[in-house]
Amino acid sequence: MLEVSGLTTKYGEISALREASLHVGSGEVVGLIGPNGAGKTTLLNSIAGLLTPSGGRVTFDGEDITGMPPEKLLRSGLALVPEHRRIFVDLTVEENLRIGGVTVPSADRPALLDEMGERFPMLRDKWTTSAGYLSGGEAQQLAIARALMSRPRLLMMDEPSLGLAPLLVDVVFDLIEALRSQGRTLLVVEQNATRMLDLADRAYVLRSGEVVAEGTGAELRDNEDLFDTFVGN
Amino acid sequence: MTELLQNLIDGLGRGSIYALLALGVAVVFGVMHLLNFAHGELITVSGYATFWAMAAGWSWYLTVPLIVVVSVATSLAIERVAFSRVRGADDFTLLLTSFGVHFVVSAIFLLYVSASVKTFPRPGWVTNTYALGSLRVEVFDTVVIGVTVVTLLATTLLLQRTMFGLALRAAAADFDTARLMGVRSNSVIRGAFALSGLLAGIASVFWLMRAGSISPSAGINPMLKGVLAALVGGLGSLRGAVLGGLALGLAEVLLRSRLPDSVASLTEGVVFLLIALLFIFRPQGIVTVTHAERV
Amino acid sequence: MFPDLRRDVVFPIAGSVILFTLVVASGLVYQSQFGGVGERLITMALIDAIIVLGMQVFIGNTGILSFGHIGFGAIAGYAFAVSAISPVEKMKRIPDAPFGLTDVNVDPLLAVLIALAATLVVALVVGLGLARSGAESGAVSATVITLALLFVTHEVARNWPAVTGGDRAGLSFRIGGTLNGRVAIYVALFLAILVARLYAQSRGGRLAVAAREDDLAARAMGVNPLVQQMVALLISVAIVSVGASLRVYEKGSILPGDFFFNLTLVTLVMLIVGGRRSVSGALLGVAVITAGRELARRLGQDGFEMFGVGLDGAPLDWIFRENLKTVFLGVSMLGFMIWRPSGLLDDWELDEWLHAKFRRSRESPPASPQVVEPDDSASLVASGVDVAFGGFQALTGVGIEAARSEVVGIIGPNGAGKTTLLNVITGLVESDSGRISLGDTDLTTAPSFKIARSGLVRTFQNLRLFASLTVRENVEVSYLVAASHRRHRSPCDVDGLIAAAGLWAHRDRRARELDYGTSRRLELARAAATAPAFLLLDEPTSGMSDSESLQMIEQVRQMAGLVGAGVVVIDHDLNFIIGICDRIYCLDCGQVIAHGTPEEIQADPVVQAAYIGSTAEG
Repeated sequence: MLEVSGLTTKYGEISALREASLHVGSGEVVGLIGPNGAGKTTLLNSIAGLLTPSGGRVTFDGEDITGMPPEKLLRSGLALVPEHRRIFVDLTVEENLRIGGVTVPSADRPALLDEMGERFPMLRDKWTTSAGYLSGGEAQQLAIARALMSRPRLLMMDEPSLGLAPLLVDVVFDLIEALRSQGRTLLVVEQNATRMLDLADRAYVLRSGEVVAEGTGAELRDNEDLFDTFVGN
Repeated sequence: MTELLQNLIDGLGRGSIYALLALGVAVVFGVMHLLNFAHGELITVSGYATFWAMAAGWSWYLTVPLIVVVSVATSLAIERVAFSRVRGADDFTLLLTSFGVHFVVSAIFLLYVSASVKTFPRPGWVTNTYALGSLRVEVFDTVVIGVTVVTLLATTLLLQRTMFGLALRAAAADFDTARLMGVRSNSVIRGAFALSGLLAGIASVFWLMRAGSISPSAGINPMLKGVLAALVGGLGSLRGAVLGGLALGLAEVLLRSRLPDSVASLTEGVVFLLIALLFIFRPQGIVTVTHAERV
Repeated sequence: MFPDLRRDVVFPIAGSVILFTLVVASGLVYQSQFGGVGERLITMALIDAIIVLGMQVFIGNTGILSFGHIGFGAIAGYAFAVSAISPVEKMKRIPDAPFGLTDVNVDPLLAVLIALAATLVVALVVGLGLARSGAESGAVSATVITLALLFVTHEVARNWPAVTGGDRAGLSFRIGGTLNGRVAIYVALFLAILVARLYAQSRGGRLAVAAREDDLAARAMGVNPLVQQMVALLISVAIVSVGASLRVYEKGSILPGDFFFNLTLVTLVMLIVGGRRSVSGALLGVAVITAGRELARRLGQDGFEMFGVGLDGAPLDWIFRENLKTVFLGVSMLGFMIWRPSGLLDDWELDEWLHAKFRRSRESPPASPQVVEPDDSASLVASGVDVAFGGFQALTGVGIEAARSEVVGIIGPNGAGKTTLLNVITGLVESDSGRISLGDTDLTTAPSFKIARSGLVRTFQNLRLFASLTVRENVEVSYLVAASHRRHRSPCDVDGLIAAAGLWAHRDRRARELDYGTSRRLELARAAATAPAFLLLDEPTSGMSDSESLQMIEQVRQMAGLVGAGVVVIDHDLNFIIGICDRIYCLDCGQVIAHGTPEEIQADPVVQAAYIGSTAEG
């Protein structure tokens, strides 16, 4: 479904991402793990068109989408839940969701809004509240719901558990689990490696801008080197 | 008391026009971080359109829609020719680009029309007044205030209830994330310029009706009022821009009627001075907009 | 005052002489071709040059766009006119002038000085306003204040006829006295060039430029941008006021419209076309725009006939019209902003170029500087720090301690609050409660530049170098701060430090041209050059490969050792942290969850769970 080959992205002189390659198949949940600064967010942002890669190629369903602007990518079915959630704090919960559905025909929007209300009952309770008043966990749910409004065929999430208390981390992982059981295709960046590996069909390990390991969750979890990658030796 | 009420009505009439101009400035600032020093040129261009239309024998009834259309078209044309090329540039470049647009537009009229002031007839009712209790109210002010209230309500509805308005607000808050949601940057920026042109067009109708004349440098004054009002209100806040415009109008009228005669002619100067003082003591304007900065 | 006499004084003086000679010579050549009309044009262009140089000092060095300098010019112009006009003339034109101004009878030279003094007083007040608003809301509102100043002066000039002669009559006069034509202009122009160049090379100029390049980083190095901007403003306004007085003197009259939008446009176009960051550029801009405007004026008048080409009913009549010169100015400004916003010369400077050409043969890198022994008296203590952003509790009761002799690490997962803690310590984020102190000095509420001067100096996670300055100039900024604010410490040897950091080969390259690893080393060296008590490093290895990270351990130890500083370092790279630290604090969800030696931390199950995630509840 998504095919990334040899993707390189630079900030000025700095290569934050060096020839990274990965693929995501339809219905798969793929994790992207690695220490802070490894280039995970850069990789997602390069795929999503927020950053322009200096080399490599990204295809989505066979179509070359390298360097395509994000508003166009979304229309071909690729959505990103950005790092730090980036919800619109001055807009209400409902408005945030509506913005998420800007690309779907307006006739379909009410049904989608209802669907989100059912799936995220906690958001329904705060429908007309400014999103700035949501707690971290609620904001993360809103960010995910907002992305789902565009009916993406592939949903990318950047550190959904970032800065959340342990209990809320559970909520987020339950949510990912639920999405997975609906057969959604997901590409998830996570720092919480152990839990991500429990959940993912497959995962890639990034370090210093390079993909250093790849495998099923179970394979990587049992890999001794992986532990060292994170904790040092 | 009567005098104060009289000032209040006069000030609201004046301030309404400023509010419309300031709102246009704020809408564009929201999506592009551009403080538009060329905003007054929308009045210059539509002013010459009015002059020619009147010379060709058009009535005000026909000219009013013409003014609005010309203003919107000019706003979009300026975006296409100049501002679209400096999107995302630093403040210095953006500010001077809009300053450059201001000069090019006025220079074109200097080149092809003349530096002298062109006059056209004002509608007969502009100077009419009617009694309201002990107050004398201008018909013109009444119309201005009425139209402004309707315009602001319509703009609020547009921003709150339509997808375009929502996209505009989202883009103003966080442009990148709005694009991630599928908001098209071209349409939202052009939409902002169109809205800004529309608001300026309505302000322009009143400005021109009252002035009855146009010259190449006629845009400076309305630009300044719009920009200052937007800043007084707190840049980036649409509500603030409207409040800033009203406050500016009221301040002008109050000062003009209260200052001793010897300095009354300095009203404009005093108002600028007050604004400068306001910035010194409340640099963020009346309405505060906060943006988090990551270090 | 000047870090390098040869580069910062000798060459700028020589360069100023050359620039001045070039300007004067080209003016003389032009007027010998065109006679009286040409002479007039050149006279006005020379005066424009003085005004533009004045604007360059402020706009070029601080990066703040000002529309107000012509407003200062108006104040100076009127002050000059009112002082210089003879009492007899004044009785005719402004008999009602207040404060006994009608009786003032001074020499034109003295009148220039009076104008200068009066304008400086106004500049001081405006500068305070700029400082306050700029500090809060940045360059845009500062620009609008300058625009408001332009309008205030214009309005006052128009509506205060008792002093200014009003909108139509203005003040016109005949002056006899010591101010004698070109000589005065030449002297003023040369001084303007010289002052502009010397200022740019001086301590004040360099610190202002540092703040222009990166305000936050400058503060973190101990620079107070507001003071430097004020200094730049005063120098700049002084030059502008001399130019404005000369302009009034040469024209023999002043009207409110003389110092308003048109002159603002002309001078700003000159400045940005030539290159606002360079004195040479400002002068080039004056030449190019003067020539272009004159050409446009003549073309507008005569079309191609001015070249003796008789094209009757020329096809270009639609463009060769009167007022073409105004279109030329507007289009130049717009065109340069769109296609070349930094101007023709950007920040190229004649004397810098000459200095680079005539440098003595490559000096060999100097020996490593003397190592400064740390004194253990002052330790860094942060205690009970709470920070909330909106509803999000970023830090809860966090406390750390570090002594001068040790390297202390702060680790924790992304979002744990590590950078926030560093921001609180260095004054970039205000804490809700808690206390920060260095030795006996309480720094809890101090502004960031004072914290830096007290000895807590940081680096940034996303490099914040002064991008268009060279490696050496980057380090010199810190050196200049240390030389005046950390006198009790022996000042570092700039060259020695650069060499020790492995930057000797790059010393004349601009920071923005450096590769990543070198940039990181420069950021470290720049921080060390402030002679700090503590170096606070925010992710110094981020984006580095494993081997580079390990080299960084040596680098940090060496730099800290050279200047006798303790180290507090945040990093996610545990190999690096464990390799360098004596003690480690582990943060998670805004709280210290563990604290100990590297071995203890590595073995701590709580740390492991927080760091790599755990299926068990944290």
